[in-house]
Amino acid sequence: MADEDEGNEYRWETGYEKTWEAIKEDDDGLLEASVAEIIQRAKRKRQAERKPNTRLGMMRHLYIILDCSDAMSDQDLKPTRQLCTAKLLEGFIEEYFDQNPISQMGIIVTRNKRAELVCELAGNVRKHVDIVKQIAQGPCSGEPSLQNSLELALSSLRLLPGHASREVLIIMGSLTTCDPHDINVTIQKLKAEGVRCSVIGLAAEVRVCRQLSKETGGLYSIILDDCHFRDLLLQQVEPPPAARTQDCSLVRMGFPHHSKIGNDPADASGAPNNNAMSFCMCHLDVEGKMDASKLGVAGHLCPQCGSKYCELPVECRACGLTLVSAPHLARSYHHLFPVDNFLEMDAKENMKHNCFGCRRKFVEIDKHVYKCGACSHIFCLDCDIFVHDTLHSCPGCTSSCKNVK
Amino acid sequence: MAEEVETSLMVIVVDLHTRQRYLRQQPSQLVHVLDSIMTLANMHLMLKTKNKVAIVACNAARSDFIYCDSDAIQPQPIQGQSGNTVQKQSDGQYEVFAHLETMVKQNTRKFTLDEKSTFFDDRDGESLIAGALTLAMCYINRINREKPTGEKLNSRLLIVTGCAGGASQHMAYMNVFFTAQKQNIVLDVCSLDYELGLLQQGCDITGGLFLKIPQLQGLLQYLLWVFLPEPPIRKKLVLPPPARVDYRAACFCHRNLIDIGFVCSICLSIFCKFSPICTTCNTVFKPPTSLVPKKKKKPNKGVC
Ligand SMILES: [Zn+2]
Ligand SMILES: [Zn+2]
Ligand SMILES: [Zn+2]
Ligand SMILES: [Zn+2]
Ligand SMILES: [Zn+2]
Repeated sequence: MADEDEGNEYRWETGYEKTWEAIKEDDDGLLEASVAEIIQRAKRKRQAERKPNTRLGMMRHLYIILDCSDAMSDQDLKPTRQLCTAKLLEGFIEEYFDQNPISQMGIIVTRNKRAELVCELAGNVRKHVDIVKQIAQGPCSGEPSLQNSLELALSSLRLLPGHASREVLIIMGSLTTCDPHDINVTIQKLKAEGVRCSVIGLAAEVRVCRQLSKETGGLYSIILDDCHFRDLLLQQVEPPPAARTQDCSLVRMGFPHHSKIGNDPADASGAPNNNAMSFCMCHLDVEGKMDASKLGVAGHLCPQCGSKYCELPVECRACGLTLVSAPHLARSYHHLFPVDNFLEMDAKENMKHNCFGCRRKFVEIDKHVYKCGACSHIFCLDCDIFVHDTLHSCPGCTSSCKNVK
Repeated sequence: MAEEVETSLMVIVVDLHTRQRYLRQQPSQLVHVLDSIMTLANMHLMLKTKNKVAIVACNAARSDFIYCDSDAIQPQPIQGQSGNTVQKQSDGQYEVFAHLETMVKQNTRKFTLDEKSTFFDDRDGESLIAGALTLAMCYINRINREKPTGEKLNSRLLIVTGCAGGASQHMAYMNVFFTAQKQNIVLDVCSLDYELGLLQQGCDITGGLFLKIPQLQGLLQYLLWVFLPEPPIRKKLVLPPPARVDYRAACFCHRNLIDIGFVCSICLSIFCKFSPICTTCNTVFKPPTSLVPKKKKKPNKGVC
């Protein structure tokens, strides 16, 4: 485990924050004013550091432990720590499920020395966002209990099959925790089960959190302000390297072949109707909302037992088969097959060219152009960012035959 | 608030693969298809003066723009008639239309006669539609970036193809679909010949329309009736019902569509049978006994 701790040092030791070092004088003694350039450089650096074919934990199971103690009503984050955290978490949840579509998330809140499971591990964005909104309206009181929360998360995470990536992310406003027993025992248990615990502190460093993240291979960081907070949360969106304890296995999955008919209910009525009507399994237990369980033909049917679900991915409640659609899996592929970094080149020699991607003519203010090592096409900075951050495939490589496998 | 100016950018991807059935049967039909596409482009430009069009061509060898804003008529300097641009309107046709037609024809010729295109003949490989889409996404990204503040740009993609398949560029397709979905770019597909499973998925993901036209002669009519209206207007029209999209996965080993398969937990490759080693990432798996999830039911209570 010792070598996994490397690279998990304090954030301010990694050099990323030293943005002033990134600002250099150019030949005319002027500063490189472009903030985008500084950000881009940090990004390129991070990309370069990431080794290709690192084994990642793609099937993530993440518990967010949210401090709802007295300390969260502090107003050092605006309007309060609690509201600010909730707002940022909403964005995080959306990004998390977008980038990790076959992953799951659960939410635990801790207040009054207790831990409460407010959301079981599940893969539904809207439900999670709703719950976070509710938490934002809820009270903040008492002390948090780190140990109770961790035990609660562990009791659920340990039931997962061996190939699952088990993670806990703690957002901690309080500087104290009220624990019934020795928390070191819990930490050792987490370590043994391969649960990666990361902590984001809103106030100052706490030794036990440091200990926890170090032992379990997670990250520990203290926020500087809300922007930094956001940045730290978004760091957790990328799937982490697979833990040592994590098994590699082939997981049996079902691919339901009934798509929804039409996206809005209005035009579903006109659709061909050759299937029996049935209730979906996912909305059956929503109390007090009978109409929530949709009676209809549209839905995804489990290929093993025929249960119907409105949304994928889901674990079949009747037979336990994980149901996904092929695009869900494909959404994760770019983590595993990222586009190699482009080479930075001087723009002067390439003035007569257009950017291969967006067809913009290179002009005087372009300091650098970027060249794909695989297809040798030249791109502008914006396309470089777009290709690596958003699109995840190189326009040059995909548009010429010899490079297409 | 002042009313927002909305403009629409349509990027059309034209498949020029020589293997397409209509080209094999009668190569001169290419003119018909190109004419229809140019008419659609011009109609789109006509709907609003600020509307924009770009056209990307692809075949098995490469994909490239055959019409984009650097080909468009440059705004004329008020005095002085220098610059490459406007030919005087000949027969009363709006010069922008005539210009688009000349440029597209010229660039199509250049594209098809390019040595790389002619070097490959029709038995080689699939059309690089995904490459064309990737280019289009970069282009849309720039046009969106350069738009004046206060203007709203709606972008959409239209593919016109008579090819089958697409499996070889599966990942590039998927990357485009998800990027388009995230950026509210609608992908429409007008297929001249086949039901295309992969592109149907793309249409479904991005909220676009898939249409396989029953006969090529009517191409222009289909283009104008189905694909010219902006996506928000389509709700009010009676259009062909959405196709049932097959979201089953194709296994990486045989490319069969499967209902239940095995997924590598490291690289998410899909296999139809259990194999001891993943052919994509070379991970060695534990024997299948471990496949049964350990469901020991333990009391699942919070500790207090
Ligand atoms: Zn089932
Ligand atoms: Zn560019
Ligand atoms: Zn490339
Ligand atoms: Zn197979
Ligand atoms: Zn694999």
